[in-house]
Amino acid sequence: MFKDVAFGQYYPSNSPVHRLDARVKLLLTLLFVVAIFFINDYFGFMLTLAVLIVIILVARLPIVSVLKSVRGILLIVAFTAIINLFFIRDGEVLVQAGKLIITKTGVHTTIKMVLRLVLLISGASLLSLTTTPVELADGLESLMSPLKLIKVPVRDIAMIMSIALRFIPTLFEETNKIISAQKARGSSLDTGGLLSRAKALIPVLIPLFVNSFRRADELAFAMDARCYNATDKRTKMKKAKLGFGDLIAFLFIGGYFTVILLDRYYFGTVGINIDMMIFGDLL
Amino acid sequence: MPAIEIKNLNFIYSKKTPSEKHALRGINLTVEEGTFLGLVGATGSGKSTLIQHLNGLLKVQDKKHSSVVVNEMSATDKKTLKRLRFEVGMVFQYPEYQLFEETVAKDVAFGPKNMKLDKEEIDRRVRRALEVVGLDYEKFAERSPFDLSGGEKRRVAIAGVIAMQPKILVLDEPVAGLDPVGRDEILALIKKLQREVSPTVITVSHNMDDMALLADRIVALKDGEIVADGTPKQIFGNRSLILDAGLDLPTATRITDKLIANGINLPHDIVTMDELAEQLCRLKAAKLAKANDCDKSDGEDDEDV
Amino acid sequence: MPQIVLKGVSYAYPIKEGYNVKALKNVSLVIDKGEFVALAGMNGSGKSTLAKLLNGLFVPSDGEVLIDGLSTADEANIFEIRKRAGMVFQNPDNQMVATIIEDDVAFGPENIGIAREEIIERVAYALDAVGMSEYRTRTASKLSGGQKQRIAIAGVLAMKPDILILDESTSMLDPNGRKEIMDIARKLNDEGITVINITHNMEEAVLADRLIVLRKGRIAMDGTPKEVFASGQLEACGLTLPPVTQLSDKLRQGGFDFDGVITAEDELVEGVCRLLK
Repeated sequence: MFKDVAFGQYYPSNSPVHRLDARVKLLLTLLFVVAIFFINDYFGFMLTLAVLIVIILVARLPIVSVLKSVRGILLIVAFTAIINLFFIRDGEVLVQAGKLIITKTGVHTTIKMVLRLVLLISGASLLSLTTTPVELADGLESLMSPLKLIKVPVRDIAMIMSIALRFIPTLFEETNKIISAQKARGSSLDTGGLLSRAKALIPVLIPLFVNSFRRADELAFAMDARCYNATDKRTKMKKAKLGFGDLIAFLFIGGYFTVILLDRYYFGTVGINIDMMIFGDLL
Repeated sequence: MPAIEIKNLNFIYSKKTPSEKHALRGINLTVEEGTFLGLVGATGSGKSTLIQHLNGLLKVQDKKHSSVVVNEMSATDKKTLKRLRFEVGMVFQYPEYQLFEETVAKDVAFGPKNMKLDKEEIDRRVRRALEVVGLDYEKFAERSPFDLSGGEKRRVAIAGVIAMQPKILVLDEPVAGLDPVGRDEILALIKKLQREVSPTVITVSHNMDDMALLADRIVALKDGEIVADGTPKQIFGNRSLILDAGLDLPTATRITDKLIANGINLPHDIVTMDELAEQLCRLKAAKLAKANDCDKSDGEDDEDV
Repeated sequence: MPQIVLKGVSYAYPIKEGYNVKALKNVSLVIDKGEFVALAGMNGSGKSTLAKLLNGLFVPSDGEVLIDGLSTADEANIFEIRKRAGMVFQNPDNQMVATIIEDDVAFGPENIGIAREEIIERVAYALDAVGMSEYRTRTASKLSGGQKQRIAIAGVLAMKPDILILDESTSMLDPNGRKEIMDIARKLNDEGITVINITHNMEEAVLADRLIVLRKGRIAMDGTPKEVFASGQLEACGLTLPPVTQLSDKLRQGGFDFDGVITAEDELVEGVCRLLK
């Protein structure tokens, strides 16, 4: 059921992307995500795809690991795609069968929506694939450090996040085990209708919660035993330092963001013309 | 008809990805009804993958060339999948971590309920299952499974499987994490279950002493392949094969080898402590008798035992 | 030199309103620096409670626990005590805070504010001491149970402790993992670290120099493993003799007149050879 969950799982390597400062990666991911929402022509999507491919290549990630993250949201993508496809009714009608109408605008909106979601998830997964949870947490802590002034427990929040990421694989594994055990007692998790499957979740969720509390208890002991909260002057083994690579990355994504903005607000016709050149009558 | 018949079973995790792992390679295994089979192998040798094929939790990947048939039901047949699950009772590692109901009785009833049995039958089976695992129904039925001791929880979990009255019982490391008393109790319980409920038992274990004592037949896995298959005496007869598979020899066998190396005349195929003790006591008695004979011819007779 | 001192320690768990379970009753104990102690007992004997009293995770309801003269009841001492008495727990999956191995090992030193350069040195030393240096930058999820416990030990060693407490740290491991951990414990003890191994496995207990057996929250026996086994009281405490000792007892009945208690295979072999030749 959850066998190949890859989202949120770090892919160890020593690529230039892995070595970037986590704060830079966090900010650039944010920029990338924002950029995707400004795209409205195929030129923009192609540019984004090209940027993604460049990052994947430089990060030396297997393409499968990125695709796996996308697979996790396939159901949501399919669902929104269908709704868009059938409920948009303006524009040239392509297919009409009884009450079902598919229009050209509907098709384009759907394609763009799917592209947007897929690129969004791929981009976000690049962050977690190339950044260890500790780096991520430290980066977040550093970015949020101004909040310490207003007494937000930034360090604890970062710690909680880091631990949550650390335990995702453990909990998935545990869920799998419990599912197997309950199936072995004839529970209808992989047989039967939707309602009986939903009911069959209870015997999975209860032990999962109980065991998670037990784990949390033990983890709290283990953290206490290792002097968590001993001092306010907690040190860090890994010190983030901005380097040349960070500058390049900033210019690269910054450049991409600028092009997307320009395409949207100032030279919109350029992108649309490129679209026309490539797709011609299809548009 | 054998209870289990596996032909040419292969299994690959994460096929066609960088993390692809061949967990089983060409497994052929036939288990007759009434066998106590010990399944041994180092961590990651494929034991868990193999047992999860027995009740269709893992699907046979290459249906054309492989088959898993249990009690004449094919594990690939969707129509008999539910029945298969009820006939192969599976007790996973640390089964107490899968308890979920408010009361012990309800938790044990989960399997029978899924079998769609009528109320009286479910009740009868719950009582019987608790009794077999040695928990008093009146005392335990209404208690929360989460308030019990570790050993009691494990018994409840086993009762939950037994209540389905499976013909084949599969246990993955059933004594892991228990203290010595708990261990002995659960091992005795498994023997009892074989007599009273499930004639065929498969136990996965790392403890060779236990396996030498309990199993009629031992199958050893290494890197997804069966590397040894036979009675404990046959299996442990081939020392290098067992050590090569990352396994220990039974304590008795290890000591026997050391004694033989020191010139003590012992048979090569000792696997249990009782056998070893018996053989050594016989040698001791023979020595005494011989000494006595000599003593008699010398005209003395004193014993120094 | 006494390093760990328990004076009349009791500990009660509150389970319901106004209802306590006494896990430990009036336990007094002295452990010297450099000892290798096995602390044994069946489930519910209070052994894990005792372990958690040693580094202030629990504070005694009665009596006093002193580590190098520092009382665990005094809040001001608590982190100093935890720095000196490191603890490894039972479940390898529940004590790792970070995904990457070196990050996890660094967690303790980071918490006590060690300088960055020194943390790097300590992490390198600790991983080397448990033979896991090559895994430094990898994730822990693909490791065996034994390897995960070695990482946990490294996490403790990086705080430069004087005492290593293994709280049933081998009970979820396979025989190979168990052996790995015991070998490391022995090695660290040879280097001067006091080791306290909480276990119900008597094959492990014989590896210690001193065996303390708990029964229903009290110390039932305290001596060398041989002395404890010779007492004949082990079964009454819910424990069983190691297989080799059981065998030697059977042989004794068959006329083998061994000198003293046998706890090791080689001892048994030597004895049998002597008596048969």
